[in-house]
Amino acid sequence: MNTTVIKTGAPMREADMNDATPKMEIRGVSKTYTTRKSETYALETTDLSIGTGEFVTIVGPSGCGKSTLMMIAAGLEEPSTGEILVDGSPAGPAGPKRSVVFQRFALFPSETVAQNIGFGLSVAHVSKVERTERIKEQLTLMGLEQFRNSYPKELSGGMQQRVAIARALIVRPEILLMDEPFAALDAQTRTVMQEEVSRLHRRMQSTVFFITHSVEEAVYLADRVVVMSKRPGRIKKEISIPHDAPWRTGDIEDAMTYGDFNELRKEIWDLVREEITTH
Amino acid sequence: MTVAVRSTRRAAPRKPSTQSMWRRELARGKSVLIGVIAAVVLVIIWYLLTLPGGLIQPLFLPPPQGVATQFITMLSEPYLGSTLWGHAIASLGVVLEAWALGGIIGIPLGIAVAWWKRARWIVWPLFQLIRPVPPLAWIPLAIVWLGIGDVARVAVVFVAALVPWVMNSIEAVRSIDPLLVSAARTLGASEPQILMRVVVRTGLPTILAGARIALGNAWTTLVAAEMLAATAGLGFVALNASRVLDLDTLLVAMGTIGILGAALSILISSAAQWIAPWAED
Ligand SMILES: Nc1ncnc2c1ncn2[C@@H]1O[C@H](COP(=O)(O)OP(=O)(O)OP(=O)(O)O)[C@@H](O)[C@H]1O
Ligand SMILES: [Mg+2]
Repeated sequence: MNTTVIKTGAPMREADMNDATPKMEIRGVSKTYTTRKSETYALETTDLSIGTGEFVTIVGPSGCGKSTLMMIAAGLEEPSTGEILVDGSPAGPAGPKRSVVFQRFALFPSETVAQNIGFGLSVAHVSKVERTERIKEQLTLMGLEQFRNSYPKELSGGMQQRVAIARALIVRPEILLMDEPFAALDAQTRTVMQEEVSRLHRRMQSTVFFITHSVEEAVYLADRVVVMSKRPGRIKKEISIPHDAPWRTGDIEDAMTYGDFNELRKEIWDLVREEITTH
Repeated sequence: MTVAVRSTRRAAPRKPSTQSMWRRELARGKSVLIGVIAAVVLVIIWYLLTLPGGLIQPLFLPPPQGVATQFITMLSEPYLGSTLWGHAIASLGVVLEAWALGGIIGIPLGIAVAWWKRARWIVWPLFQLIRPVPPLAWIPLAIVWLGIGDVARVAVVFVAALVPWVMNSIEAVRSIDPLLVSAARTLGASEPQILMRVVVRTGLPTILAGARIALGNAWTTLVAAEMLAATAGLGFVALNASRVLDLDTLLVAMGTIGILGAALSILISSAAQWIAPWAED
């Protein structure tokens, strides 16, 4: 009886994942950037498994290799050692199965907001009718209807970021890689977007790998928080967040009223601070 | 709560573009005005200097009214076979043909050189060798190979136009942010889709700037080419007029060359703004 409860309860919990193939596996990945003048050891050998539907957030000091890890996970950067597995087999080149929200938005300057958002659909030759429908859905979701025909250079940083998020979501990726996706947003919009991503994740059951500088955000959104050490980055600690945490249904402002939430936040914040202050 | 936030989300669009557009229009209006005033002043000085018994003999510089009269005459009466219109059209025809040909060959060539290493190895050394040869130095060879017809002139002007087309197409591809290519890749774009939709489209303003330089090069080269080998055209008119010391006609030809050159440049700049409205300025 007991075993049944566990199995149906939370399939993405780390402890229960032993029998299932992880959605994405980062196996023995390290990275050294070699330029003509210098070598940068950016990432120490890293192993990380992310279960299907799991939301993993990564925090760590600036320059510790978070973006590097994500670029490798996306298939955009070659690891110096190790490999990335998706559904148990080598991930191969980048593609819409793993869509990315880049730290520097990377919007196409020659395309309007609607064209940017619809990019992934039009290169896949999705019918015009469906494309228009899904673009409209994203524009509404992101509050960008008025700007559908604007070019990226005409938008504020926060709006550009929303376009970048919509562009990644519209292809309905199995794995969503987000590199500080809310960094350029104002506080109110960020709160709304956090709720939106949290809701979307619960609804679509997509697997999310999410980098942030905000410890609150990391705890609020995550099933598991990964803390990285300073450069060369390695995984310092992984902290699982209870699946039934009461703050999941409210917004992040409410979350801060829970004692458990604040304890987790403090624990993680202390881990990060050690990395910033020790030399 | 959501409603309140939505309203801040939909803050009015920032309008720096509209404002700077106004400023640009204003600046353009001002510079046109200054240009007109300068031209008028110049004509007045010219008029005063060439008054009968003035400082300059009409043999060296005819008075402006003489040039104006000749201009009007030449619009309707043939000079060396055709009217001024005819000569202008002859010149424009060669230039546009050679310029377009330069684009048709130069853009794919430049993109190929920048995008595929193999193409670079084949084309680049050859191109580097040809590039420093002044276009006019091709004239003797063109005459030997192609005679003194339109074909020879198109060929020489083509060489002049080709270089900026190629150089700017290369620059357009090279200056693309690699992250845009990465983004396209994660969204499932194929290699040809990335090339056409991301690389070429993003680089379009640079290619269009090359188009303008190419047209300028073509125009100046054409006039020189016509001076050496032609049976019609504005450069041909200028050269013949100078041989018989017909300064009225010479100045008409020079003025027309200048005005048409400027007009082409303005035309292509406006076309570029229309084709690539997103371009930074
Ligand atoms: N393309 C590159 N070539 C050389 N070095 C690089 C490259 N990209 C990143 N690095 C170096 O690798 C290290 C890790 O960079 P990375 O961008 O992954 O850090 P990060 O954790 O994402 O930092 P931040 O929080 O500031 O975004 C840095 O020291 C950086 O200078
Ligand atoms: Mg980063």
